Amino acid sequence: MSTENWKTYEPVLIPDIKNLHTIEVYEKNGGYNALKSVLTDKKKWPDQKSVINEVKEANIRGRGGAGFNAGLKWSFMPPADGGPRYLACNGDESEPGTFKDRKIFEYNPHAFIEGALIAAYAMEITTIYVYIRGEYRAYIQMMEKAIEDAYRKGFIGKKIFGSPFSVDFYVHSGAGAYICGEETSMLESLEGKRGYPRVKPPFPAQKGLWGRPTTINNIETLAHVTSVINRGAEWFKNVGAATHPGPILYGISGHVNKPGVYELPSGVPVLDLIHDVAGGMRNGKKLKAVIPGGSSTPVLRADQLDGITMDADSLRTVGSMLGTAGMVVMDEDTDMVDVLWRIAHFYHHESCGQCTPCREGTGWLEKILLKIKNGQGEIRDLDLLLDLTTQMEGRTICALADAAAWPVRFTINRFRDEFEARCKKSVHALV
Amino acid sequence: MPEVIIDGHKYEFEGEQRLLQFIQDQGKEVPFFCYHPSMTAPANCRQCMVKVGQYVRDRESGEYEADENGEKVVRWFPKLQTSCNLMMSDGMVVHTQETDELVKRAQKDNLELILINHPLDCPICDQAGECPLQIQTYKYGPEGSRFEVKKVHKPKRVQLGPRVVLDAERCINCTRCTRFTEEISKTNQLTITSRGDKNYPTAAPGTVFDDPYSLNTVDLCPVGALTSADFRFRARVWEMNQTPSIDITSGKGCNIDLWTRDNLILRITPRYNGDVNDHWMPDEGREAYKLFNENRISRPQQKLDNEQILSSWNNAIATFSELIEITDKKDILIVASPHASVEENYALSKYANLMGLMQPVFVAHIEKGKGDNFLLTDDLAPNTNGCKLLGFKEISSKSLKTQVSKAQLVIFIQDHFIDRGILSTEDIENKKIVIFSSNHSETTRSADLVIPVTCVAEHAASYVNTDMRIQRSFPAKETKYSNRRLNLEMSEGRLDRHGTHFDNWVTEDNKIDCLPVWTFITEVAAFSGIDLTLEDGRSVMEEIAGSLPAFSGVSYEEMDERNGMNLSAEKEKSKTDS
Ligand SMILES: Cc1cc2nc3c(=O)[nH]c(=O)nc-3n(C[C@H](O)[C@H](O)[C@H](O)COP(=O)(O)O)c2cc1C
Ligand code: SF4
Ligand code: SF4
Ligand code: FES
Repeated sequence: MSTENWKTYEPVLIPDIKNLHTIEVYEKNGGYNALKSVLTDKKKWPDQKSVINEVKEANIRGRGGAGFNAGLKWSFMPPADGGPRYLACNGDESEPGTFKDRKIFEYNPHAFIEGALIAAYAMEITTIYVYIRGEYRAYIQMMEKAIEDAYRKGFIGKKIFGSPFSVDFYVHSGAGAYICGEETSMLESLEGKRGYPRVKPPFPAQKGLWGRPTTINNIETLAHVTSVINRGAEWFKNVGAATHPGPILYGISGHVNKPGVYELPSGVPVLDLIHDVAGGMRNGKKLKAVIPGGSSTPVLRADQLDGITMDADSLRTVGSMLGTAGMVVMDEDTDMVDVLWRIAHFYHHESCGQCTPCREGTGWLEKILLKIKNGQGEIRDLDLLLDLTTQMEGRTICALADAAAWPVRFTINRFRDEFEARCKKSVHALV
Repeated sequence: MPEVIIDGHKYEFEGEQRLLQFIQDQGKEVPFFCYHPSMTAPANCRQCMVKVGQYVRDRESGEYEADENGEKVVRWFPKLQTSCNLMMSDGMVVHTQETDELVKRAQKDNLELILINHPLDCPICDQAGECPLQIQTYKYGPEGSRFEVKKVHKPKRVQLGPRVVLDAERCINCTRCTRFTEEISKTNQLTITSRGDKNYPTAAPGTVFDDPYSLNTVDLCPVGALTSADFRFRARVWEMNQTPSIDITSGKGCNIDLWTRDNLILRITPRYNGDVNDHWMPDEGREAYKLFNENRISRPQQKLDNEQILSSWNNAIATFSELIEITDKKDILIVASPHASVEENYALSKYANLMGLMQPVFVAHIEKGKGDNFLLTDDLAPNTNGCKLLGFKEISSKSLKTQVSKAQLVIFIQDHFIDRGILSTEDIENKKIVIFSSNHSETTRSADLVIPVTCVAEHAASYVNTDMRIQRSFPAKETKYSNRRLNLEMSEGRLDRHGTHFDNWVTEDNKIDCLPVWTFITEVAAFSGIDLTLEDGRSVMEEIAGSLPAFSGVSYEEMDERNGMNLSAEKEKSKTDS
């Protein structure tokens, strides 16, 4: 694997530079040069399209979980018609196991701001919103400060770098709903409405915020844009896995010695991440299972992980996904029934309740799992659970129902013995 | 023309159309809950799933591609699609539950899910019998349930507003009610609160759901979650008769249904008419049902020594004729009414003609500011235009007072001027007052002769609304002199058709002793030896159409066929025809 060279990789997004979050230090380290180049170097960037093409060429696959090529997404925006156009930056970060965007808010907010400004220029966008989960109180304040500083320096506002490009930038705080991370639900929330995901089509590029063309990108995705402009698409494509290139912020949590966020190329072997990057298993325990990219991605057994790397293609071969690269590592003492119940509890709690299969299904899943966990399960409950996952998957307005169904299906399928053993031990009252 | 293939049959269509609506328009069915033709389609119930594909066209030739057997190649959507919000396109191929097992299964699965937290309390639920959830569960749902854990509990018997009660446990979160207040009545009074399976609709804290159209949400609600505070627990719907009629509480003439049991009107619901009220009506119009049951005048009343006593029809006819005879013709004032139908007003005017009396005048009943550019109008009467078209002179309230002061005998019909503060008891002192009325009022109590007449719920008669549309009612309620089994205009309920005599809950108590105005007029004319026969609303209208150009071409057949007729459009048409 080309990915052996992750060991020599130098972080770009969260490098070890003191006070990089301040605009002064950021500028001293070449900050806002990418924006300046895009806006003023007509030779290099003759028009907006040249910027979009560069980003498309880099193949930054969306870091919000779906992995869609960012430049390609930008190219879906209809031609500007003089009316407002929006960029909505997704910093809702609420999927269990995912905690990477906060690193950018805290250590390098201007890399994200600069990327968002470049995106706005490329798509002729007039207003940028960054939607940050409400629980990130401190990061919201930091972002507000960073944006204020950038306004003060003239990087945001009217006629930036003397070019005709003007844009406004606002921070919007979430109010504690995971569903507001789903892009169209986020748009509703930004409009001041209940966070109900919208039915698609129409897609946000056609009808987004207040019915106007809108693009939604994850915070990390936009931060990478800055590096792509600074270093070129060619550089980006050569970092990490070929079909899913570029650096990734891996958020590693669970039973490892050094949990945390690590910036490394895509395609690092899962086992290397656990043993070399995150300092190995805690207390020398044996590895039991890994959830590779946030709680919705299918869990993998330790015996499935040999040679598997953290990119979409490799993970697909064992039936999982990269998601947000928020990896949850579990050791031999982990009770999978407990784990699955806790995940099901989360999705039950967070379903917006708009559509039937998710509203009703998430609760039913959790209640059956609770019954099994409490020692009252029956083996037929497992088949009912599996049946329910097909009743929910692909039949709803947004992907939350899929996200709730997959962990149930794959955890049961991959750890069926454990679930059956629990059910067999059940004590049923004689009636 | 563009084509779609639904369950193997080819249909042509035009313009932008939603698939579910189109399927229904073809007389076919796909189960659904949240969709409503007059509102946006949120596609949230997920019941209307179908399998959808598209014929593949060759990029170059534009022709459909065919496989080795010559069959057109279909590219299927990877997921089932909700048909309610899917716009049709040329070459679309659709399989409903009738031809696809997966679709059938998905619809069944969805119903199982809808029902897991539903209380399944149909035996005590008001919606039973007219419940889309109940009906579609029987047709498309699972045999039983695999749900063995605890249901979610939610608020019950919540008085959302003065007229609407919520049982949140029955709610299936279709958002029809919240969309109604958002998109139709535009008060935005309802919203969904909480999240996931704890969702339910509510008004904002500290506010009440007093939308003037609030009861439409009860009709819209596909389950028994929203019920009418007034109607709940009053009757099972399968024991009622449903009769089309017209709302007489405003100038709009909303099309309605009257629901009767044991000869009482128990509720009023809107009846669809795209040209008038769509699927809606104001709450005020629904309250009118009480007028049809309560405070009714039964048997004529006559003043004797300053006290009103019950009289007989013979006495009433004789008294009426006598009053006309002994009073100087120029001292007789007939006040027609926009609250009475075209036929009733016509009967009075014809009688006046034959007797050589002055033609009736009328006073409009307008309350400025009452209208809302939707279904409420400043005009509080259903037939102001009808009076105008009959050629009656409209006079002001002040002028009425003057004319009454000059008259000796005044005849009123369905207009209660003392109650409205237009006339006082002093104004009518020393005058003879005759009133045709269905309900008691201060005005009727001051009259010398009170003729109890049928109300809109008891006769077939027409009203011309503020938009010049003539529409008619059907008798819904029997009087002492009408009989559901003999009157062909009267609707038959399930029990009339299939029940025994004992099922029908019919008692004589609720029948009012009253006559249609035209019948009474026919009687008094006969008493005076005049040949005037006004048999029923239908024949009266025939006579009107034949003699008054404003009504030419109008008939009950035509009104029934076209759900009412627009008279100004009719006039335009006859102009261009000639
Ligand atoms: C239930 C749900 C929750 C989501 N939460 C987030 C989130 O917290 N942050 C995020 O960036 N994307 C989230 N997404 C993905 C977004 O819908 C969207 O795909 C993403 O923001 C697009 O950005 P990207 O293309 O840059 O990844 C979520 C999706 C779903 C279905
Ligand atoms: S799938 Fe779940 S979260 Fe998404 S719209 Fe439907 S109910 Fe809401
Ligand atoms: S109360 Fe009735 S109309 Fe309103 S959301 Fe619930 S089921 Fe739908
Ligand atoms: S009717 Fe189509 S989803 Fe509800």
